[in-house]
Amino acid sequence: MKSKIALIFFLISVSFSSFSQSLSSSPYSIYGLGSLYDSDFGSLPAIGSSGVALPSNRFINNLNPASLGFTYQNHFLFDVGGTGIQTSYQDVSRKESRNNVQFSHIAFAFPLNTKSAFSVALKPYSSAGFKISDYKLPIQDSNEEYTLSATGTGGLNNFDISYGYRIGKKLSLGLSTSVLFGSTKDAREYVISNSVTTIDKESSYNGLRLDLGGQFKVDSTFTIGVNLKSPAKINATKVQSVMTYNSGLEATNTIETDAHSDVDDYFMPFEFAVGINKQFKNNLSVTMDYEKAFWESVNQADMYGNYLNQDKFKLGFTYRKEDKLRSYFDRIQFSTGLNYDTGFLEIDNKRIENKAISFGVSLPIENTFSMLNISYSYGQRARISNGLIKENYHKISLNLSLDGIWFVKRKFE
Amino acid sequence: MYRLFIVLFFGIILTSCNSDIDAGEFVVGSDNLSVNNKVILIDTATVEVSTINFDSLVTSGQSRILLGNYDDPIFGKVSSDSYFQLSSSSYNLQTTSSDTEGANYVFDSIRMVLLPDKYYYGDTTQVQSISIHRLLQKVKQNAENEENFYNNSSLSYDAVSLGSTSFRPKPLKQDSVFVKIDDVFGNALFQKLKKREITTQDEFLEYFKGLVIRSTSANTTSILGFRTTSLLQLYYSKSVTDSKTSILKEFTIDDISKQFNRISLDRTGTIVKDLPGTTGRLSSNLTENKSFIQSGTGLACRIDFPSIKELKYITEKGAIVDAQLIIRPVKDTYSKRYPLVDSLNIYVADQLNRIGSTLKSASGNSIYAILNKSNDEFDENIGYSIPLGTFIQNEMTKQSDSKSALILTIPTISKGVERLVLGNQKNSGNKVQLKIYYISY
Repeated sequence: MKSKIALIFFLISVSFSSFSQSLSSSPYSIYGLGSLYDSDFGSLPAIGSSGVALPSNRFINNLNPASLGFTYQNHFLFDVGGTGIQTSYQDVSRKESRNNVQFSHIAFAFPLNTKSAFSVALKPYSSAGFKISDYKLPIQDSNEEYTLSATGTGGLNNFDISYGYRIGKKLSLGLSTSVLFGSTKDAREYVISNSVTTIDKESSYNGLRLDLGGQFKVDSTFTIGVNLKSPAKINATKVQSVMTYNSGLEATNTIETDAHSDVDDYFMPFEFAVGINKQFKNNLSVTMDYEKAFWESVNQADMYGNYLNQDKFKLGFTYRKEDKLRSYFDRIQFSTGLNYDTGFLEIDNKRIENKAISFGVSLPIENTFSMLNISYSYGQRARISNGLIKENYHKISLNLSLDGIWFVKRKFE
Repeated sequence: MYRLFIVLFFGIILTSCNSDIDAGEFVVGSDNLSVNNKVILIDTATVEVSTINFDSLVTSGQSRILLGNYDDPIFGKVSSDSYFQLSSSSYNLQTTSSDTEGANYVFDSIRMVLLPDKYYYGDTTQVQSISIHRLLQKVKQNAENEENFYNNSSLSYDAVSLGSTSFRPKPLKQDSVFVKIDDVFGNALFQKLKKREITTQDEFLEYFKGLVIRSTSANTTSILGFRTTSLLQLYYSKSVTDSKTSILKEFTIDDISKQFNRISLDRTGTIVKDLPGTTGRLSSNLTENKSFIQSGTGLACRIDFPSIKELKYITEKGAIVDAQLIIRPVKDTYSKRYPLVDSLNIYVADQLNRIGSTLKSASGNSIYAILNKSNDEFDENIGYSIPLGTFIQNEMTKQSDSKSALILTIPTISKGVERLVLGNQKNSGNKVQLKIYYISY
């Protein structure tokens, strides 16, 4: 018993320590609040991140708080995960590969009674990691150029508190509150004529977003789910230092030091997701989701980029032999999925699309719902064209979903 | 057992750092990069260019005897005469064992030896004529506390020439120029020494106040520099018969503060004929969009930035990170004969042309206007560039209404006659350009 608690604590502490690490860097991270993460729990990464209609019975389903209404009583669920990503960046003339290992999430779910459950989760929301070296840009209204070097670090985190309540046997409703918080650092160096100007900026963000979900079991094999995310305002402030050095004049000029100021707030749009889950012959499960985010209706400030309405299509298949089988290998679950995301960023009049295919296995741990979910996905983001960079990525997600029945069982030893 | 394995597995994953180095070569959305921090080049700010006239440049103590005259096609007639006081280390003749021997000394000859210092300006192919006159006034200012002599100072001199010569200048390889001095003058001086009527410097200066060397012929075409080690040589010998044992007495410019050049410019009928006094200025708009600098005669270029304070209103928050003034010599005003100087001195001055100091960098070094010599086919790149970032930023943010201006001169201002013609903002092809680099933050 003690070793189990120690294990959980170990995972928690490791998770938190890795939280502060520098996150992945993508050239697209200069936009908005950085590149967004898909931190999906359990086996969701293997089924194209679909699952609005899946229950939180064997793992915590982060896509819909209503899923908590279907959590089994006496099952305490714990989910922790990490991803390793190898990305190759490619433009018209160059190609470069980078590896990144990243904490994905940590979450707990507690059933309160047979009808309701409660969960908390912590996960990264975005990464503002990017780097620009000696990039030449034109000086407005002239034929001269200046050189920009920049480094971005930091990102936002997401802390969710969710609650799900089942009404009767078929309908469950859920509510989730997401607290977004964090800060990004942006250090820029401008070489203009004979001068070097450094602008160091730390932006802090915080905001709250509500999430309403519903799931309806049409019959024992067919569930539909819906999830609505409220628009949200993420308050932004910055602390900035500006310094300039002029070599022709041998002059260093501190223009401002740690100056606090308000910046344009970041707005998140209304989003909805609908999905279905259908079981065939008690061993094949199909999930299908559609999501839409209305970015165009938010009045985003120019500094965050140009935004377009976003559509996401997700499809997943899961296969598992029937529960009764005792052989370990028969209990392994196999999954595959597709994910297509139109993206919401518009750069040089082009959308930054993302498409991915994924495969996964879920390895049961002991004779419980506990599983180690290993998934692999291959994806492409954006495309090679003038001003855009294509990212090809191989992503391995490891999610450990622990089932608290472990403890219950030990009590009877 | 495999629970331990899982723990290790996750532990490795979660604690491993990003090992790859992002070289930062991939950049998207260059438009977005400049949204927060705009870099702007402003080259439309008004620059007023004018010509001013310093009426008194200190020309004493400059270690150069400047002689000659030439008719400048643009500036008018330039001429330089040089005044100086001579002295000797001692005022007795060669000391001898007996007084009787001294009584036998006789005067031989006296001459002025001019040693070229390789400075020249103008066309040196024409014959130079100079004439030497005795000063009737000591090389000393009348006013108290005034020790300097200026380009417009003059002293009265005897109209009768003590000696003159004409020579063809070869400034770079020329030997000394010898001017034979009147024997009557020489002998008189010799007798004063021989009879020991002059034994001290005061007595000597009372008798022989100094010389002026004047440039005489009207068709001389160049101005030449000579060293202040140039000297007057008096030769004498033991007796009338023994002319072989010639003895030399030398008179030198011992104190260079007692040597100055009177450099004058006759602007009659030229484009700069209407130059106002020291505190005024002649707008380049009235002088064919040109401004004029001439060493020796005191012409200088003044640059004003009347609208600089308006730059404050470009953005709410912004800073001038660099500024450059590129001022261009007017094409066809320079040539091999009238070459461009490599750099210009820059002074910060007030509305009345009173100079505060040179334009300085933050660490206190003087800033110069440096000539960009990289030739292209149309000489478009030729110009003097001045880094002005701090000056412009200070002028922009200054609380008071007073505005500073820049004054450009040629470094040889006190000891040469180089000149330069610069274009203003309306001068097509040789336009002065103020480039201000600005970043918003």
